[in-house]
Amino acid sequence: MPSTLSRRDFLKISGAAVGALVIGEFLPPWVAQAARSNGVLDASDSGYIPSMCEMCVWRCGLLAKVDAGRVVKLEGNPDHPHSNGKLCPRGQSGLMNTYDPDRVLTPLIRVGKRGQGLFRKASWEEALDLVTQNMLDIKQKYGPEAMLFSSTHNLSQVQFENLLNAYGSPNYGTQRSLCFNAMIVSNLTTYGMEEPNRKYDDLKYIILTGRNLMEAISTSETSALSQAIDRGVKVVTLDPRFTKTAAKSAEWLPIRPGTDLAFHLALINVIITEGLYNRNTVLNQTSGFDQLAAAVTQYTPEWAAPITEIPAETIRRIAHEFAAAAPYALAHNGWRTSNFVNSFQTERAIAILNALAGNWGVAMFPASGEESGVLGAPPQPAYPRVSAQRLDGVPWKYPFVPLKIGVFQELREAALSGTPYQAHGWFIARQNPAMSLPDRGRTLEAFAKMDFITTVDIIMNDTSWFSDVVLPESSYLERYDPLNIVGNKAFLRQPVIEPQGEARSALWIYKELGTRLGLGDFFQYSDEEDYLKQQLAPLGVSLDQVRQKGYVDLPGEGPDFTEPIWNTPSTKIELFSTTLDKGGFAAVPQWEEPLAPAPGQFYLLTGKVAQSTQFASQNNQLLNKYSDEPRLWMNVATAKSLGLSENDLVEVASTAGKIHIKLEATQAIRPDCVYLTPGYGHLSKGLTVAYGLGASDSDLHLTFTDPISGGQALSQTFVTVSKI
Amino acid sequence: MTDIQHKTFLFDATRCIDCRACMVACSVENKIPMNKTRIWVAGVGLKGEFPALERASMVYHCMHCNEPDCLSACPVGAYSKRLDGPVIYDPKKCIGCRYCMNACPFGVPHFDYDKGLIDGAFIDKCSMCTQRIDVGLEPACMATCPTGALMFGERDELLKYAHDRLTAQPARYLNHVYGESENGGTSYLILSHVPFKELGLPELSSTPVRDVSEAVMGVTIPFALGWGAVLTGTAVGVHMVNKKKEADAQKLETSEPQAEEKK
Repeated sequence: MPSTLSRRDFLKISGAAVGALVIGEFLPPWVAQAARSNGVLDASDSGYIPSMCEMCVWRCGLLAKVDAGRVVKLEGNPDHPHSNGKLCPRGQSGLMNTYDPDRVLTPLIRVGKRGQGLFRKASWEEALDLVTQNMLDIKQKYGPEAMLFSSTHNLSQVQFENLLNAYGSPNYGTQRSLCFNAMIVSNLTTYGMEEPNRKYDDLKYIILTGRNLMEAISTSETSALSQAIDRGVKVVTLDPRFTKTAAKSAEWLPIRPGTDLAFHLALINVIITEGLYNRNTVLNQTSGFDQLAAAVTQYTPEWAAPITEIPAETIRRIAHEFAAAAPYALAHNGWRTSNFVNSFQTERAIAILNALAGNWGVAMFPASGEESGVLGAPPQPAYPRVSAQRLDGVPWKYPFVPLKIGVFQELREAALSGTPYQAHGWFIARQNPAMSLPDRGRTLEAFAKMDFITTVDIIMNDTSWFSDVVLPESSYLERYDPLNIVGNKAFLRQPVIEPQGEARSALWIYKELGTRLGLGDFFQYSDEEDYLKQQLAPLGVSLDQVRQKGYVDLPGEGPDFTEPIWNTPSTKIELFSTTLDKGGFAAVPQWEEPLAPAPGQFYLLTGKVAQSTQFASQNNQLLNKYSDEPRLWMNVATAKSLGLSENDLVEVASTAGKIHIKLEATQAIRPDCVYLTPGYGHLSKGLTVAYGLGASDSDLHLTFTDPISGGQALSQTFVTVSKI
Repeated sequence: MTDIQHKTFLFDATRCIDCRACMVACSVENKIPMNKTRIWVAGVGLKGEFPALERASMVYHCMHCNEPDCLSACPVGAYSKRLDGPVIYDPKKCIGCRYCMNACPFGVPHFDYDKGLIDGAFIDKCSMCTQRIDVGLEPACMATCPTGALMFGERDELLKYAHDRLTAQPARYLNHVYGESENGGTSYLILSHVPFKELGLPELSSTPVRDVSEAVMGVTIPFALGWGAVLTGTAVGVHMVNKKKEADAQKLETSEPQAEEKK
């Protein structure tokens, strides 16, 4: 059989990496004591324990199947709206993250040079004392602001933030500027909310701008899109690559990278000049329509055609189709929108297009919000006042970026330049900046400037490899995290098995560290269960009850869909943003010509595959087993013109660096682009499966920051490709 | 064929996104070693030239034929077809002859060349997750499919569902349910937007290969006996002829030296 992953290829790929391992062979026999006592298991220690997935940030509900005290399988939890009983390949592989033979199971202290990978095992006592000593030294010598803290979207992040606020550092890095700052800030300026919920139930028309839902899987949303397509909804996908989402779309437009803004401005132009917008919405819910109308008159489809390389008649037709389907039409705002410096205005144009379609309450709804006043929390003293500026320029350089989001790449730049002051220490939890930040060479230089680096992770990730102390966290199947609110329920992550080795939960690690730093008053919970009991206290529900069901219903009704409240200065949907206007930026979207590759150069594109999550899943043997070999995609015709053939080893170079990787000559990409699956090219030899696979996009990416949203422009790097 | 009451899969190629959740789920559920799999992706993958492109792929595992060729080919009865659908392989009976591999028109049974006689199971293939369906659960692959490309249920109901879809959305599908009659009917039905051979499926008649092979096998013994008789007769005849030749040769031998000596 001809095949994309034939039996022969399959044996070749998997056989190269791993031997004949069977997951069951190394399962520890004992299920979590908590689960034994709460009645979900029968007399033979079998049954299902409800918890939550952590293979990506979508956080599906899961049911862990336990057989005679061993966890043997994960299922999607039908009660959780993010999974609806399903799990994606990453969710299904979750057991393998927990049972990864490369797990770090004791605290480690570096003994060799940084990056040499020589560590010795240490007790928690010794490791925590060492971290504490260094953090106190830095605070005393340089002030608390000299300590950087960074962590990626996770449920214990609230206590991570507690630790950094109690310590007194303003320097907080998240991954979000590498991901969705443009989308968040555009929604804030337009709708006054970070990200509206989307519903596909009644839709007739969807424009996807680089939202590759069939590969960047968010289980319930991927499922909803699939069902919508099945119902006959027309999906138009804009992407320079023929992604698996493009393959399922009615229409694929291989748009020139960086020109999505021009496409959407032309749609807005047609819809306004032909009077196809929702008059009721525009009149009652929006402000600034006249300014918008005046600004877009120049952006005709004929103007956009040569820029986007999409024919004017196609753009005009799509504008007509979208308007005809409205309000049952959605222009998806995307997720990882860190593509070009103009991505913020692209996102603004998309937000405005939705407003013109009048699709609020049909396609878009208020976000349910993860924070809620209905849950309790441990008592919290006031944090020390911070007078130092943030190194990432928020808000003094980036006034529109929320403090909790930040501009991560600028934090790294400041650590390098030492301005406005020099950072000396870096505390990193559940994050891998050595892989995620653009221009890896500069990130490693920034590490070298640190007196002290400590990381919290479950495996020896690439950043841990350069750390002085590695603190082993228990995996998501081994620990509690704070409750997670979705809709009108709060879901629980609970241990399914006892932690392996000396691994401990983030809640425990932050509290222990806080206590040693003399900040014990900020951590008023005796352990993880006590933390959850304090969260549940106002609801009058016991932790045992929540452990059995996996969630608790919250009082009150769901968000009100009919009367939206726009949290903007005008209390309307701002087509003309008064906030942007005051800041001296374009208050209605206007065309910004993006940088383009010089002759002989290519746009370097990155994007997800269904079998990996950012930089954390490549060592998972089950995912590796079913992943395609990471290669550099290049259009067949382009490859031919360069004298390159399939599987040639090529050198890819940008001004930031170069990599070597095998070539995949494919029809599925524009001739002026190349594509690399991110997350490969690991530096840590502690990742025995992932080390040596593929190459890292971060070695090539240049650092560009959008002055409005702080987003990193990940597609604005241009490369040359040559045969080795 | 619609009266066959089997548990059956329905795979819809228009809905599969090639995410491989089914493959991972199967590997965990059935404790498949890291270098083995029971589910594959088949098909041409990408079709066409930029920008006129299409994708065609299919996940497949054992088709659980209604008239399984593996069962028919197995000389030791290591295969059985359960009344509710699954084709079951019994490693205790298997002698590792690999006849099933040659017999299966879909190339499903997979031989483990690393194993010796005492290790047991030589062959690996999908069991329809009998350990799950026997307790009322769906097979692991189908249960996790995020897009509903895999369905599972009673064969007649899924066949009706499939035909209803073909009627309702004629532009979306080729007007055929693969597996309804192929090879005597399978318990893995397929809907597709591209020709089935582009999904890697063989063109099979509705007569199961098994019927053909059994028709052949039915005359094997009389044929073998008859052929044996012919061969025996020939052998006897040849033997007798040879005997006669030997006798004549011996006569010559006794006279030839004299003839040589004459030279």
